[in-house]
Amino acid sequence: MSLSARMIVVLTVVGLVSGSLLAVVGLLTKDRIEMNRQQEIQTAISQVIPSTKTSQKIYEDDSLTVYESRNESKNAVGYAVYTSGTGFQDIITLMYGTDPSLSNIKDLTILEQKETPGLGAKITDQEAFLRYWKNRNCEQPLSLRKPAVDSPENLDPSEVNTITGATISSEKVLDIVNASLERLKAIKEQGKLSSEEKNAS
Amino acid sequence: MPPKKSLGAEYLKGLWDENPVFRQLLGMCPTLAVTNAVINGFAMGLATAFVLILSSLVVSSIKKLIPSQVRIATYIVIIASFVTIADRFLAAFFPPISKALGPYVPLIVVNCIILGRQEAFSSKNSIGRSLVDALGMSTGFILALLVLSSIRELLGAGTFLSYQVLGSWFKPWIIMILPAGAFITLGVLLGLAILIETKTKTRSS
Repeated sequence: MSLSARMIVVLTVVGLVSGSLLAVVGLLTKDRIEMNRQQEIQTAISQVIPSTKTSQKIYEDDSLTVYESRNESKNAVGYAVYTSGTGFQDIITLMYGTDPSLSNIKDLTILEQKETPGLGAKITDQEAFLRYWKNRNCEQPLSLRKPAVDSPENLDPSEVNTITGATISSEKVLDIVNASLERLKAIKEQGKLSSEEKNAS
Repeated sequence: MPPKKSLGAEYLKGLWDENPVFRQLLGMCPTLAVTNAVINGFAMGLATAFVLILSSLVVSSIKKLIPSQVRIATYIVIIASFVTIADRFLAAFFPPISKALGPYVPLIVVNCIILGRQEAFSSKNSIGRSLVDALGMSTGFILALLVLSSIRELLGAGTFLSYQVLGSWFKPWIIMILPAGAFITLGVLLGLAILIETKTKTRSS
């Protein structure tokens, strides 16, 4: 066999063998990876809307995914909103739960972030940040309390606290939530936010 | 060609004399990037070991078939396949670790330790010898990552494998888990390695 023919044969065979091997591995792990993702979302939903029994995806576009959550007696108890946006260093992905009228944020959880450890990364910390996000009135866009206060009682209902030393990270989380809330309200007004419509389509 | 070493020496050289991190300065990207916690460093070490050992086995067993003009391309395809397998496996069974390591698992493809061993060793030696060499290099790499990540996690968070080991009096040095801490720790350790090397050499001569 000439040299160039040998090169072609060897590369083709190596490519084919590894390609088929990867196809098998991909097939074997696909379901489990998807399951992990689902599980992560389920956990997050029950975290931001604690009375959740079942949840269903009712809206999805490039910037946000909305899950409608129902309690044990099958009543809609709120929406869990999965969204992301730019943080101080990288994309922050988060989820928050609202009541069905979109006037109250029940809770917030951060799913992915790469903020500075010890400073911006405190956005995942209950004590320093997340506890100030419980039960916020979001009829109007939320605002940031600066300088920070040391107890949720000292905040107005439509305010969230700043992390001292990580103002930008706190602001970014607030921006992500406010932007998605605004979009969500517009979507709801257009009547696109109902499980019935999703079932019909 | 230098005289053949015993299999034991072939293994041990990866631990110190030719340690990929401290002596060869290879694979610096994962070494610096993921050693902010012991569990991450260890997982990265294991993933790299998996890829290195299997690639060495495959390359050494088909070395005679590969025309030298396309050897690098062939090695990369083989390495990339094992890296993808490792990446999918971590994502499927250890999602938190997969998340923490982020892009650094796919980046094992371009880790010089792996391509370096194929080019320098597996393509010229028997399957058994390549396996021993890959095992030694992997152990050396894992040990280096463990040392680095232990120091960084201990000083940067006061913990070891997420267990609090330093008391509440300890104020974590945040810099140690930031990139700067990686460079500082690696620099100090490299200095130490060279110091030990020169000391032992002067004594033996």
